Amino acid sequence: MAEWHVGIDIGGTFTDIVAIHTGDRALRSAKVPSRAKDPVASILAAIAAISLQPRDIAELVHGTTRVTNAIVEGKLEPVVLIGTEGFEDIIEIGRQSRRDLYRLEVRPKPEPLVPRERRIPLAERMLHDGTVQKPLSAAAIEAATARALASGASSVAIVLLHAYANPSHELALGQALRGKVPFLSLSHAVNPEAREYERMIATVLNAAVMPLAAAYLTELRATLPSGLKLGVMHSAGGMATPEAAAERPLLMALSGPAAGVAAAAAIARELNEKSVLSFDMGGTTTDVALILEGQAEITADAKLADQPLRQPMVAIESIGAGGGSIVRHGVSGLSIGPQSAGAEPGPASYGRGGELPTVCDANVILGYLNPKRRLGTEIELQPERARAVFAPLAAALNLSVEALALGVLRVADATMARALNKITVERGVDGRGATLLAFGGMGPMHAIGLARSYGISRVIVPAASSAFSALGCVTAEHSATRQRTLRMASDGFDDAGFATARTALVDELRSLLDDNDNVETEETAMIRYRGQSYAVDVALAGPVDGTSLGRIFAERHQALFGFVSGQAWEVMGLRTRLRVPRPPSLAPVISSGAVPKPFQLDECWFDAAGAIPTARYERAALVAPHIISGPAIIEDDWSTTVIPPGWEARATGNGHILLQEQTA
Amino acid sequence: MKTHIDPFQLEVLRHALTGIAEEMSFVVMRAARSPLLREAGDLSSALTDARGELVAQGRDIPVHLGVMSFTVGAFLKIIPPEKLKPGDVWFTNLPELGGNHLPDVKAIRPIFSDGRLIGFAVSLAHWADIGGGWPGSYVANATESFQEGLRLPPLRLFTAEGPDSEKISVIMQNVRGPAEREGDMLAQMAATRTADQRLLALCQLHGTETVETAMAALHDRSEAAMRRAIQTLPAGVFEGEDFLDDDGPDGAPAAVRVRITIADDLAEFDFSATDDAVAGPLNTTPYVTAAAVYYAMKAIAGPEIQPNGGCYRPLRVITRPGSLLHPPLEKPLVGGNHETSQRLVDAIFRAFAPIIPERLAAGGSTTAGLLIFGGAGRDGSWKTLYEPHGGGEGARHDRAGAAATRVHLTNTNNTPAEIIEAEFPIRILRHALRRGSGGGGAHRGGEGSEREYLVLAEEMSLTTMFERRIIPPWGLAGGEAGAPFHCELRRVAGTSEELRGKANLLVHQGDVVAFKTSGGGGYGKA
Repeated sequence: MAEWHVGIDIGGTFTDIVAIHTGDRALRSAKVPSRAKDPVASILAAIAAISLQPRDIAELVHGTTRVTNAIVEGKLEPVVLIGTEGFEDIIEIGRQSRRDLYRLEVRPKPEPLVPRERRIPLAERMLHDGTVQKPLSAAAIEAATARALASGASSVAIVLLHAYANPSHELALGQALRGKVPFLSLSHAVNPEAREYERMIATVLNAAVMPLAAAYLTELRATLPSGLKLGVMHSAGGMATPEAAAERPLLMALSGPAAGVAAAAAIARELNEKSVLSFDMGGTTTDVALILEGQAEITADAKLADQPLRQPMVAIESIGAGGGSIVRHGVSGLSIGPQSAGAEPGPASYGRGGELPTVCDANVILGYLNPKRRLGTEIELQPERARAVFAPLAAALNLSVEALALGVLRVADATMARALNKITVERGVDGRGATLLAFGGMGPMHAIGLARSYGISRVIVPAASSAFSALGCVTAEHSATRQRTLRMASDGFDDAGFATARTALVDELRSLLDDNDNVETEETAMIRYRGQSYAVDVALAGPVDGTSLGRIFAERHQALFGFVSGQAWEVMGLRTRLRVPRPPSLAPVISSGAVPKPFQLDECWFDAAGAIPTARYERAALVAPHIISGPAIIEDDWSTTVIPPGWEARATGNGHILLQEQTA
Repeated sequence: MKTHIDPFQLEVLRHALTGIAEEMSFVVMRAARSPLLREAGDLSSALTDARGELVAQGRDIPVHLGVMSFTVGAFLKIIPPEKLKPGDVWFTNLPELGGNHLPDVKAIRPIFSDGRLIGFAVSLAHWADIGGGWPGSYVANATESFQEGLRLPPLRLFTAEGPDSEKISVIMQNVRGPAEREGDMLAQMAATRTADQRLLALCQLHGTETVETAMAALHDRSEAAMRRAIQTLPAGVFEGEDFLDDDGPDGAPAAVRVRITIADDLAEFDFSATDDAVAGPLNTTPYVTAAAVYYAMKAIAGPEIQPNGGCYRPLRVITRPGSLLHPPLEKPLVGGNHETSQRLVDAIFRAFAPIIPERLAAGGSTTAGLLIFGGAGRDGSWKTLYEPHGGGEGARHDRAGAAATRVHLTNTNNTPAEIIEAEFPIRILRHALRRGSGGGGAHRGGEGSEREYLVLAEEMSLTTMFERRIIPPWGLAGGEAGAPFHCELRRVAGTSEELRGKANLLVHQGDVVAFKTSGGGGYGKA
């Protein structure tokens, strides 16, 4: 019987799986090594690891880093770019600014995604209001088609000026190419917004990952039983059908991190937390995101490998600091990352040849990571290796190895606090009132340190925190998000026209979801004072007219910038999200009533004065209503939660741990 | 005051302070109304300590950042600290007050914690018009500073009680596009407000005294780092020169000359041999001169050094009063900020070229490459389209130069054709690479770009302000020069003319301005 809902997250090192039974909501979870060359095999291995067969699965949703990695590593399929004549070099000109102000050795911008010989000019011209300035002739279509086919590339991107205002030329050329080239990406469909360079990059990237996404999804579909419902995590934190993902694979560019944020959002809804900062710290990077009222904040400004993506995505701030990040002491002081020891050789304490000090090693030196437990069931930690690589730097700074390790954690926390600041400030939110939700391999270990350095007093380490992205896949809502340019000024605001545009976008998105009965709609208008460029997001609840919209906009603007203006304002765009809500899926944890007992007592360092006795608890042993006071460590094979003196832990909800500062 | 701080707390505060400066720029770009700020990003942000020494800066425009290390210090000489109150925001643009040119307006907000002044937030924004004799405030044939626009001595435009609408009204009555300018001013105010809130939160978390100690310690650390960086340069005396294409009204070229002395951990840059002040708006200030030196030394010797007041202490900059770099007060100087300043970087690089070519890049498009269109926008209001153009980057010993980018003291974006066409009565006919314009060599210079503007309004004003039209970007270590700038006006009547690098003129419906930017110089013999 197909009675399981399964979420799978295929990461660079591990593939995580979480399965929830549709009847009794029982949970199974496992981690298996990823098979880089064969993601379908990774999925099958993960299913086997929780003793299920593909035929037991009713629905499988997965997150994948395939698209992300292809873009980051530059392993992209060749693309032919057809652009408005005279503008095809925009792909190389970009916005002309350079990446680094002072480093002459840094190439000012990335290598162009499409080389000159594959840029094809098209004789046509559209204007900003959608009128045709130069019609697209049959001869022009024929010439461009012939050149595209002659190039031999299998994927074609079409990016014409002002196509967001009138897509008819892109559609006509697309019609001529459809069936003749396997993959086609049209700019008005990928990103219906003004600014030609950013739209061009998004469209070309989409075209460049289409072949690999299609091959992968086809193979997956063929391998799994035909009755199984398959979904893919998209970057806005919901799930998409494989068909939608194949057409717009760029939607998957942040699939993995977005899944983690989706799980965090699900838990925020379950626990009724108004404002949550998700904190996902892994081996090489840390991702943070803001979740308000149970919904992750969305942005269309995300970049990957210095390239604008222009897709509605969970607003994740990613920084190059994780457990494997290398500690350096340079002319500007102590820095952490972005260089990482990665999985191989890994931190020095893994004993696999790592020779440089890392954040993970600092946690080993301070006694937080348990040397008697195999990390991830296989790695035996070697604390003496960690001390050996810290010793030279400690000597240079005239500090003890432990004082250096404590300092490294403080600097790491400061680096991450800056990311928290960024995502909250942009939304006009004071992050100090939020709850920090920590997951990923390193998140629970650093959570309280980060909370303290930022002024947060409430932290949650969720159930399944080490397979959290997989949990996000299984708890994800079906959703579709789209953003569109729509220009409407406050003077003579067209109430009816605005309502019509809203309805049209909702209808368009409905066609992308297979369950249309229980849809919830979230609409956001992007509004600015005339002349501003970055519009303020204004949530739309029910019908609005020009007057009410102006009032809500002024309130938001005052909160964000501290002033309002008597000037005219204008709507610049609409962003709409349709989602099919799901009930909380985790089963409640039943208390055995037993008081948790430590299984081991160690000496851990919380300040440079000296180590203090610290009790270790199995994570499974902590159940409501008992409280564990710091100093203590709660751990399992995959994660370690550090509770310093002055903090306490209690079980909450469906297997989560709530950490709070003790009141004196 | 404490003098010691543990290295980790210092690191924590360094991150936080830099984060505040970066956040300020973000606020200006979000809240401002003029495309020059929101699209091109012609703005910068900084935090200083209570004496006005720069503590942290955003990732902005190097020439602004260098100048801002003087602004607050000069401001404090006129406005004593006891006149300052929490909630004040002062505005000034005087070039002689730690400034550069009139359009770059600085908002200065004193920040108080525990009842004492602890520092300043400074938001610099290029206003697309500051009044004066021509739309956009670039008067090509100006012979006096007064023709270049409104001169604002430090004015308290905001207090804790709110805006001073009378003073603001005087300013807005004297600039073109007052609605847009007001938006720019409010955006700068908003940025300093954010900095105020953030710095106070930091003082609450760490203690005011600790934050003050950190500021002093950051200066000391950067100073030590810069001294070590100078020691990596060969000791000796090196001379370099470069030339302005022309000086504005009469078209004569002018020389900038530098004599660099590297002695142990000190570096002196003596510009005394530079030509006298010129008649046209290519003069500049000693602060801009220092900014060029700061940039060059960071790029050549220490790009990773945390930029602040301390790292500039071992650098001595000498300008001769009466020269192009230290002109009499009444001399015009709007273009000197981004044209003459880049000549200085070229002169410094050329002084070092024979001895450390592998640390340098060949000549690039060291100019703002500026076109300014003025006229009624599509919504009927006055609009200024300020278009800075990048060109080819100079090649390096290990790679070719990149195409169409910004180099050295500037880092502004272009404005997308789709934005220009939606907001201005202008159509972009093409925007392409200028093929073959990079200088030859073992590594080629980057290519310039070409952009063509069709005028749709009945009449518009046009200003040009660019260099490298006559003297091309130089090759390094035997590489060839890149192609120079070229600006052509094709009149609707069928005639055509090449425009000079500093010009004001009127263009009319159907006219086309075709702008070609320079290629970069090559590196090494081909």
